Amino acid sequence: MGVFELQSPLTTEERLHKRKLIVRDLMSLLSLFAITAALAVLTYFLFNSFSRHRQNLAQSWLVSGETAISSGHPEQAVEAFRSALEYDPGQPETEIELAMALAAAGRTDEAISYFTSLLESEPGNGIINLELARLYAKQGNESKAIDFYQRALDGKWQGDGYERRRAVRLELARYLLDQKDYQRARTQLLIAAGNAPDDPKIRMQIAGMMEEAQDQANALEIYRSIAQQKPGPIEALEGAGRVAFALGRFELAREYLDRAVNHPDFRSQPESVRTATQETLADAVHLLAVYPRPELNVNERAERILHMAKVAQARLDACSITKGTPVASLADLSAQWQQIPARLTPTTLARDPQLEQTIMNLVFTTEKQTSQVCGAPTGDDALLLKIAQSPLTVEQR
Amino acid sequence: MKTDAAIKQEVEAPRPSDLDRIAPTRDERLFLVLSIFIGVLSGLLVVSFRVAIEWIKILTLGSAPHPGQYRLLLAPTLAGLIVAAMVQWFFPGASGSGVNQTKAALYIYNGYISFRTVIGKFLTSAIAIGAGHSLGPEDPSLQIGAGVASMIARRLRLSRRTLRLFAPIGAAAGLAAAFNAPISAILFVIEEVIGRWSAAVLGSVVLSAISSVVVARWFWGSEPMFRIPQVTLRDPRELMAYAVLGIFGGFFALVFSKSLGYLRPRLRALARWTHFFQPALAGLMVGAIGFFGFPQVMGTGYGVIDQAMHGQFVWQMLIGLALLKVLATTLSFSSGTPGGMFAPTLFVGAMLGAAIGSFEKHYFPHLTGTVGSYALVGMGVLFAGFLRAPLTSVFMVLEVSGNYSIVLPVILANTIAYLLARSLQPVPIFEIFTQQDGLDLPSMEEQREESVLHVEDALRPSDVPIVQGSESIEAVSAAMAATDAPALLVHLWDGSWYAMSKDELISATAIVTGNTPVERVLKPDRTPMIFPDLRLDNTLQYFPRWPLLPILNRANKRKLEGVVTLEDVLKRYQNLDERLQPEVSPNRL
Repeated sequence: MGVFELQSPLTTEERLHKRKLIVRDLMSLLSLFAITAALAVLTYFLFNSFSRHRQNLAQSWLVSGETAISSGHPEQAVEAFRSALEYDPGQPETEIELAMALAAAGRTDEAISYFTSLLESEPGNGIINLELARLYAKQGNESKAIDFYQRALDGKWQGDGYERRRAVRLELARYLLDQKDYQRARTQLLIAAGNAPDDPKIRMQIAGMMEEAQDQANALEIYRSIAQQKPGPIEALEGAGRVAFALGRFELAREYLDRAVNHPDFRSQPESVRTATQETLADAVHLLAVYPRPELNVNERAERILHMAKVAQARLDACSITKGTPVASLADLSAQWQQIPARLTPTTLARDPQLEQTIMNLVFTTEKQTSQVCGAPTGDDALLLKIAQSPLTVEQR
Repeated sequence: MKTDAAIKQEVEAPRPSDLDRIAPTRDERLFLVLSIFIGVLSGLLVVSFRVAIEWIKILTLGSAPHPGQYRLLLAPTLAGLIVAAMVQWFFPGASGSGVNQTKAALYIYNGYISFRTVIGKFLTSAIAIGAGHSLGPEDPSLQIGAGVASMIARRLRLSRRTLRLFAPIGAAAGLAAAFNAPISAILFVIEEVIGRWSAAVLGSVVLSAISSVVVARWFWGSEPMFRIPQVTLRDPRELMAYAVLGIFGGFFALVFSKSLGYLRPRLRALARWTHFFQPALAGLMVGAIGFFGFPQVMGTGYGVIDQAMHGQFVWQMLIGLALLKVLATTLSFSSGTPGGMFAPTLFVGAMLGAAIGSFEKHYFPHLTGTVGSYALVGMGVLFAGFLRAPLTSVFMVLEVSGNYSIVLPVILANTIAYLLARSLQPVPIFEIFTQQDGLDLPSMEEQREESVLHVEDALRPSDVPIVQGSESIEAVSAAMAATDAPALLVHLWDGSWYAMSKDELISATAIVTGNTPVERVLKPDRTPMIFPDLRLDNTLQYFPRWPLLPILNRANKRKLEGVVTLEDVLKRYQNLDERLQPEVSPNRL
């Protein structure tokens, strides 16, 4: 009813006006629609062209940053990577490259800040953790460096994660060696050795680091396993000989060093290495020539023991004279030597194995005591000291 | 000069009063449809505007501006000259940020923003910002949106009242597209342009803002202008750090506000010919900042905000950038270069937040959350402290982060910054600009906090006789004679009330016998039902008819809470004015 009341009073002219108004409004809305459509098309083309240009710029700045990094201009690379990210933000690879460029440019604080921020969005990223470990190592923050190395080991890696983790573990071991933390370095190296593939290069690297970590026994095992190949790499033979010598396993050392010296590649080794190998071999040979091996005939063995006794006594006398003032330990040793029969012959000695053992023990004690009182010995005394340090391993293979 | 066709169309077109008669619901019907059109058009224009800025930036400053490039000096200087000439000769309405111009259109010019102003704003702002002036595109986008709305409303010959409502609708659409965040834009327009919630426009504002954001997201994607990092609050002790951020934010807002308040009027007061060169000089100085090491402060700085949020700078650098941005923006804006204040505000806030976040991450590694969280909260802090839009500042951070776990730090830091900035600088920045421009626009901060009086504020216990309708005239007259009240209240059988004046009673006594019930002599109308929670100004319309008004209880309409008279209402308003006088006068003067 109300509607009729409102509409009925309209005059004919008013109705005409109303009709015109409706038509005009419709036309206005249609023209508005047409304008909107035209503007949408225009904006679409403008935006697409702009987006393509941005992509091109991002790509060109990325390439330019990578070129700058490879040509040793990290500062330029930083600017280039920043520009690349401005035109194509959120690219993780470019972000990491930028952070690495910051680190390479020596902007350690900025690099740490950026890597830390990147880590927040990807806490398990292996590369980011590794880079942070390197940066903290560079800053001398040992605990953080080790922590981030460990996180990198546990982290996620693109591509061959197995290889990357081993490389990180070796890097961590190297860092620990530099920090003289041999115990933890040995642990990392043992894990690395356990997981290492059958690649002589990698195993050689691990063995070398084990030597540095003063783990000669495990290093020897690795060198020996590599040296089993025929012909084994000369470095493995040298390493096995060197480590066996250090362990007092002189027979084994002589064997490997002899193989090394006769290896076809020996001549191509650096001069210093060749000299060191030859000297160690000579020492091993000499040492074995002095050592009274059980398999020798009794007379020859007794002669060697008597020779050792003579050398040790001479060392004791010389040391006592050098010190001047009486030293209690040396005096005690002199007293023990005086209890040994004065005129022993090889035949006499060969008949008394108990005396043989007593004399050898006294020789070893004398060499150890005198080296503590008078310093490191030379010549035959040095060889005897080496035997004294590990008399049971001389012939161990 | 109007064409013959235009004159003919005007003559033929129905007058507004005729329109009300022949199509009374036309405006309401068109309102919602046009809101969508306004949103879509604003969105498209804002996307084009942003693309134009980026193109101009690449063309003038190069794709990777870095210190030592002479173009950093040249581009903003030349752009300043061009923009100044355009503003002075062709587009005088295009100068400034856009927020106050939109408010002026709303409150002074009945929602009128010319097409020329929209074009001028688009071109001059794009050139200035693209060439490196330290300004933002959001406020111009707001004005462009408002201008689009105004043009459409005029084209459809909507009524003046409707035309005025369209400006904020377009403003919300423009800002929403620029922010890529509709809720923040709607709240800002309500906080800073309209001043208070208005159901009349809220639906249309929401519709246009969402339409424009849909368009913007079609092009830009759903991310805001910077990538939002992971936002977390790891440890409640971090709130202390956010409180520190709020304090720093309050002081930075003060420095920013004071710098603009000092420099802008002085530059405006210089001879008119200097206005042709001020933007160029400002551009040269901003360019010099870039040339000598900090190109990050040039332009909008969105990329730098993104970098700061993702921890690419150390805290010393971030503090430096925040301070230089304040300087650069003060120079650019005070010189009259067209462009907005939002992006610089966000920039300064992000740098400040990231600086505090980085500092704490460095020195208190176990306490701090992500640098990105601090940068994000920092943006809100400056928004609250400098632009004085506290509600928008909170929702902006929540909307762009999409993470409500950050709400506590945001509210804490923003409140501290807002209160601190407000106590140190009582006049908000937009009001300072208004005063400098010689305009008299309402203060949105005052409007938001304006006390609204209710009936209960003027209510007093009834001291007039209350009689039943069945009582005789004689008894009622006796009750009246016993007091010196000017009127009495008659309670009728159906629960309604009647306020009878003394004169009315005397007149009734003269024409009826003493035992006639008083309800027989009453006029047919009844006093309105008024409750204590109604607005006090609603009562004013009833006093010409009634000597006093009974105030009833909503739960029990037979129960009388008290009465109010015209004198009570006026006295209450006078007291309110007296109470507000000392607070208002210094700001308004």
